[in-house]
Amino acid sequence: MEALKAQFPATNFTLLAVVLALPLLGAFVNGVFGKRLGKAGVRLMALSALGGSFIAALATFLLLPKGEGGGTLAWTAWRWFSLNGRMGQTVPIDVAFSVDAMSATMMLVVTGVGFLIHLYSSEYMVKDPGYHRFFAYLNLFCFAMLTLVMADNMAVLFVGWEGVGLCSYLLIGFWFGDEKNATAGKKAFIVNRIGDFGLLVAMAILLYYTGSLRFAEINANARNLLDPVTIWPFGNLPIESQWDAANPGANAAYKAIVHLFLPEKGVQVYASTLVGLAMFLGAAGKSAQIPLYVWLPDAMAGPTPVSALIHAATMVTAGVYLVARTSAVFLMSPAAMATVAVLGCATAIFAASIGLFQHDLKKVLAYSTVSQLGFMFIGVGVGAFAAGFFHVFTHAFFKACLFLGAGSVIHAMHARIHDTDKSQDIRNMGGLKKFMPITRWTFLLSCFAIAGAPPLAGFWSKDEILWRAFSTKIVAPEVGRLEPLWTWPSWLGQGIYWVGVVAATMTAFYMFRAYFLTFHGEFRGWKIVAGWKEPKHGHGHDDHGHDDHHDHHDDGAPLEGPKPHESPLAMTLPLMVLAVFAVFAGFLMAEPIHIEPLGHMLSPVFTRAHDAVVLRAEGVEKLMWPMMGPGVAAFLGGTGAAMVVYLNKGGAPEESFKKAAPGLYRLIYDKWRIDELYDAVVVGMVDALADIFTAADKWLIDGVLAKLTAAIVAFFGTVLRTFQTGRVQVYGAAMALGLAGVGFFLVRPHAEATVDDSKLRSAGEVVISAAPGPGYTYRWEGTGTEQKDFGVVREVRINVNPGETKDVKLHVRNAFAQEATQSFAVTRPGRGFPSSAAPVPLVPGTVVPAGGGSIPAKDIPGLINPRGAQ
Amino acid sequence: MSPLDFVFQYWPAIGAGILGALVPRGDASTKQRAGLGFITALTTLFVIWLWPTEGAAQAAKVPGEWPHLLNLLIALPLVGAAAVLFIPRQMLSLLRGFTYVVLGIGFVASLWLLTVPMTAGWHFQYIKDWMPTLGIRYHVAIDGISLWLVLLTTFVTPIAAYASFGSIKTRIKEFCFALLLLQGGMIGAFLALDLFLFYVFWELMLVPMFLMIGIWGGADRVKAAIKFFLYTMAGSVLMLAAIIYLVWTHQKLTGDFTFDYLALSRVVLPKSAQLLCFWAFSLAFFIKVPMWPVHTWLPDAHVQAPTGGSVILAAVMLKLGTYAYMRFSMGLFPGPASNLSANLAGVAILGGILYGALVAWKQRDVKRLVAYSSVAHLGFVMLGLFSATPMGMQGAVLQMVNHGVSTGALFLLVGVIYDRRHTREVDEFGGLAKVMPIYAVVFLIVTFASVGVPGTNGFVGEFLVIMGTFLSERLGKFAGIHTVGAAAGVILAAVYMLYVVQKMFFGPLTNPKNKHLPDLTVRESLALAPLVLMIFVIGFFPAIFLDRMKESILLHHNQYKVVSGQAILFADERDAKLLPEDTFSPAFLKGMPKKEQPEAPAAGGEGSQAALGGEGKVAQ
Repeated sequence: MEALKAQFPATNFTLLAVVLALPLLGAFVNGVFGKRLGKAGVRLMALSALGGSFIAALATFLLLPKGEGGGTLAWTAWRWFSLNGRMGQTVPIDVAFSVDAMSATMMLVVTGVGFLIHLYSSEYMVKDPGYHRFFAYLNLFCFAMLTLVMADNMAVLFVGWEGVGLCSYLLIGFWFGDEKNATAGKKAFIVNRIGDFGLLVAMAILLYYTGSLRFAEINANARNLLDPVTIWPFGNLPIESQWDAANPGANAAYKAIVHLFLPEKGVQVYASTLVGLAMFLGAAGKSAQIPLYVWLPDAMAGPTPVSALIHAATMVTAGVYLVARTSAVFLMSPAAMATVAVLGCATAIFAASIGLFQHDLKKVLAYSTVSQLGFMFIGVGVGAFAAGFFHVFTHAFFKACLFLGAGSVIHAMHARIHDTDKSQDIRNMGGLKKFMPITRWTFLLSCFAIAGAPPLAGFWSKDEILWRAFSTKIVAPEVGRLEPLWTWPSWLGQGIYWVGVVAATMTAFYMFRAYFLTFHGEFRGWKIVAGWKEPKHGHGHDDHGHDDHHDHHDDGAPLEGPKPHESPLAMTLPLMVLAVFAVFAGFLMAEPIHIEPLGHMLSPVFTRAHDAVVLRAEGVEKLMWPMMGPGVAAFLGGTGAAMVVYLNKGGAPEESFKKAAPGLYRLIYDKWRIDELYDAVVVGMVDALADIFTAADKWLIDGVLAKLTAAIVAFFGTVLRTFQTGRVQVYGAAMALGLAGVGFFLVRPHAEATVDDSKLRSAGEVVISAAPGPGYTYRWEGTGTEQKDFGVVREVRINVNPGETKDVKLHVRNAFAQEATQSFAVTRPGRGFPSSAAPVPLVPGTVVPAGGGSIPAKDIPGLINPRGAQ
Repeated sequence: MSPLDFVFQYWPAIGAGILGALVPRGDASTKQRAGLGFITALTTLFVIWLWPTEGAAQAAKVPGEWPHLLNLLIALPLVGAAAVLFIPRQMLSLLRGFTYVVLGIGFVASLWLLTVPMTAGWHFQYIKDWMPTLGIRYHVAIDGISLWLVLLTTFVTPIAAYASFGSIKTRIKEFCFALLLLQGGMIGAFLALDLFLFYVFWELMLVPMFLMIGIWGGADRVKAAIKFFLYTMAGSVLMLAAIIYLVWTHQKLTGDFTFDYLALSRVVLPKSAQLLCFWAFSLAFFIKVPMWPVHTWLPDAHVQAPTGGSVILAAVMLKLGTYAYMRFSMGLFPGPASNLSANLAGVAILGGILYGALVAWKQRDVKRLVAYSSVAHLGFVMLGLFSATPMGMQGAVLQMVNHGVSTGALFLLVGVIYDRRHTREVDEFGGLAKVMPIYAVVFLIVTFASVGVPGTNGFVGEFLVIMGTFLSERLGKFAGIHTVGAAAGVILAAVYMLYVVQKMFFGPLTNPKNKHLPDLTVRESLALAPLVLMIFVIGFFPAIFLDRMKESILLHHNQYKVVSGQAILFADERDAKLLPEDTFSPAFLKGMPKKEQPEAPAAGGEGSQAALGGEGKVAQ
């Protein structure tokens, strides 16, 4: 141990490289050379990669510095790139990893559970032609997930974050030949991307306020986030009073609309709330919370081990991990915490309600996962980060066990049915306990664990979360003497507690419903064989079921296919290991009985929570044991009800409920039709927008810029072409007309002049020079020196005193003794510029003397106004 | 160095080369193995070579900058193009071989640029009088910004040539000529610092691309070529007018004619003229980028262009618009560029990133889809430039390179399927991953690079741009909403790219025409390999790229910041003015044409105003 410590110093802990590199190597070798290696080689590579990674992770866990302050092990690989902070300072972004108690625990879960699931899959997928591809993806996933949990900064976390999303996409669509699977994969990726959008925005805000993306520094500088930000009205939009001032004459209807949208004063929130909400959007995407949970149930299209590893044990808990990791940021914003807790709570009960009547075994487990993730978010939302994280930990075991058990069942069913959907339908199962005893017992133990039966793992973690929700509240961080923008209401925690208890009851009910329907009663799978045509490969090894099912032979179709059988050891061994953990893992943090080694390890990670999370009221801590009662009652009630309904009465009450309230039953069975709602609202809107844009691109933009301009040019071409007739007479006529026009212009006098007022402001001097013309003579009026007759003075210089206005009149006479007149008003502003004089409206039809460096008249109102012409 | 030392020093490259040679399945040809091994080894060598090592900065003695290197880079393809004319058109291998050699020498020579530490200012500068009476000089130089674009050009063009020779079978001689001429024009435009010279190159590269689309294009090629030409031409003519006005103003101010970019940077035009000239320049560049709403030539040109033409058009030519905006619009007219940046950023986000992505999603022709995705990606580049933070600008330049690599690869991939099926309609495909697994994998990798998944090149650029946008002072109150808009673009990128991937590769293989398509050929895989490797090299080690552009970007950014402030402050309603030389960094002004007579009004601020009173007035 000491030798290891000397070998790997805490600041350059290269063992982390081993943890990461092995799965990556596995992914590369299996992906590129997998087909040549053969199945045995692929299996060896994948398992040894994960196994080696697990051993390295275990060593890391053991080498973790112990003690009061906790400790981290860090390894920096290379400088990735660098950013700039608000002050222009360099913010290096390294490919760096650091491990504390929380990430070390996660590493163990990822590699440990990951190894078991790899082992399981090596048998489960053995008949699949894409064996090597599967393990390449699975290894790549483990690499990405390890990157996520070991990341030292948000950017590296984001690599893992998107990496797991990518692997999830690939694995959901693993059997891509079916359109449905590919669509489910795409949906998962895109919904996750919506979350990633939130994470990107959160990173930008964090960089701005905390000047770093490293978790240690973000948490240390979290108080910088207590900066009020006006979120509405944004940009240049005014608040209502400003708008009123700017638009005094607006009519009432317009005002009402403005009143609706523009607030009295700007809506302010702390930057920490924005970060928290943006980050929670990311977490909700990855961890399938309302409003982004819709992808997870569809993701069950992937192979079952994938559902166990990615969509139950590890990836989906990344959101919880993220919130716990940036706990200091969330603690700066009680509003964001409350959002997390309330949405978590809503998800917990909402998903549990959907789970009540699903027929697909994997769908039940999927909604159960969503619901349990909701519990985890309740935990981190009420400030019980350790408890929330502990539920991540225990859930990884029992839910992985449940999924793998379901996989084992489906494996057995699939051997009979050869139809993915039918082999997952619990209406086709039943009575499997006598065929698959190991699967049955491990499944049962995990059901007890998830339902919260004391003293199994789920009981301790779920009870801890609910108790914390009940007993604590979040104190708003102090910002000088300012009032906090939002405070935690006292009823919130209790409300969450009771909703959580109801959700826990439902959990117990639907889990045991699934258990009883799957493993108890008669095997209903015999019946569905009727429509099944025996494939060419002949009879199975122990087909032709039991004599008591001979009646099904009567409808002509043979009762073929193997009877369900227990899975091989490579599949049952992981089940047994996971079941053991599902039973005993709770004692790592059993707070009420004061056995909490994991709790002690985790507490330094969440030191900042100690100040901000306080007891709701005096003496509430005495209620700890009594408040366990509702939790246990939830387990007993839910389990008992399921037992009565499905074991004793064979599901009759569900049928009667279906008859009594068919609409409600359908609605719940159709998952409250949220997918349809999203399709109609969000997807439909974006789709319509895209259609409009596409049409506009073709007809409006291209139409105007390309087609219209071309048409105009063509038009002029056509018009002008008509003159080019080639007839001398037409050209002669055009020439005569042109000459007449020029002649007329020359005969008329034009009293035009340029005004140079560049020295008007400084010296009061204005130079007016008249335009020359054939035989022009000029007479000026109002220049000071009176002029009786026309002369040759083309340019006059006049002086204007401050505040004075001078009118200058120009008469022009040409060689044909025709005269024209133009007058100019020159105003020199008084001392206080601009003068209050209202601008003199321009006389229409006059030409502002242009050129000569003069400025447009509209820019100097009241300075020069040519009045009248000729 | 003994061979053993070589082995010890470069073992990762050798190992990578062996690994690369092992990647193809058992029945692969030796050519493919050797090619892939060579490409992987070279890429690894490239990373090792550029890897920042401790003390390298101090130890790196400034090697001599061979002044003719840039001349070589520009002249070689041009001379090569002329030489192609003398090769008989029947000697196809000689024509191809000659083109490869010229492009290959160009690429190797351009690597030389990397040996020089890219400190702020101009490198490899070469100046020669061309038309002294008009002050037109042959002035070329490189800095950290154009460095990567020149390298991108010399890197992508040989690949495009290699891929093109697989599918283009007619008029090889003309194709070689056009390709080399194009290469010369593009490199010249990236390197020119004399506005006249720049204009010449800018127009020069239009001609071969016009020919490429018009001769080797699809069914509607002539129409698309004319549209491409007219759009670009309309912009460049405006730019020419603005250049002449600027030069004339400078002549009024100083008495000297010069087309030199550095000298003209000092001119502060009157406010209205400034705005007009900014738009004249920028419109030319926006058309080239292309930015909404002058983007519609791009999909047409891409759809009709042959694969090689599309690759060069997307990878390099569009970058000329963004590069030129950065260099010339921001350099010559920082005032309007700065004032308008929030509005222009809004256009880049709404019209580029979001609109481009949504329209791309609705395209049924894969090539059209990729073309619209270019509009979206270049929206990110322009956003980075408008945000005008060092971060955003670095992201923009990196994103230019990224887009060149990943969109270039996408066009190659679309070309692959077009060569086999002579259609690009997505509805014709489905389930291709079963018959063409390697093609599917490569397409998927490039797709995720295009979507911007971290670990690939697309992420780093987009990330820098988004961060830069939020921290931008120029965007002011809009920085937040711009960030949200830009970040929303990453969702839509996934929507349209995954849509096309699913339609083409997943689902059942229904169309009988697709049942027996061959997978990537040797030529195709060798053309794609360097691009795919670069996707990961930039994704994992962006620092080796960013470090070399950082100093130049900082210089450019600081100058933009200072000069835009000055320009806004001192711009007059009617008079043009000359900024004092000390407004600029001496590194920037190195190589500026010097006046012989020493009466230059070098005083700044108030003093210069007084001095300008007499001669600085420009009458309209």
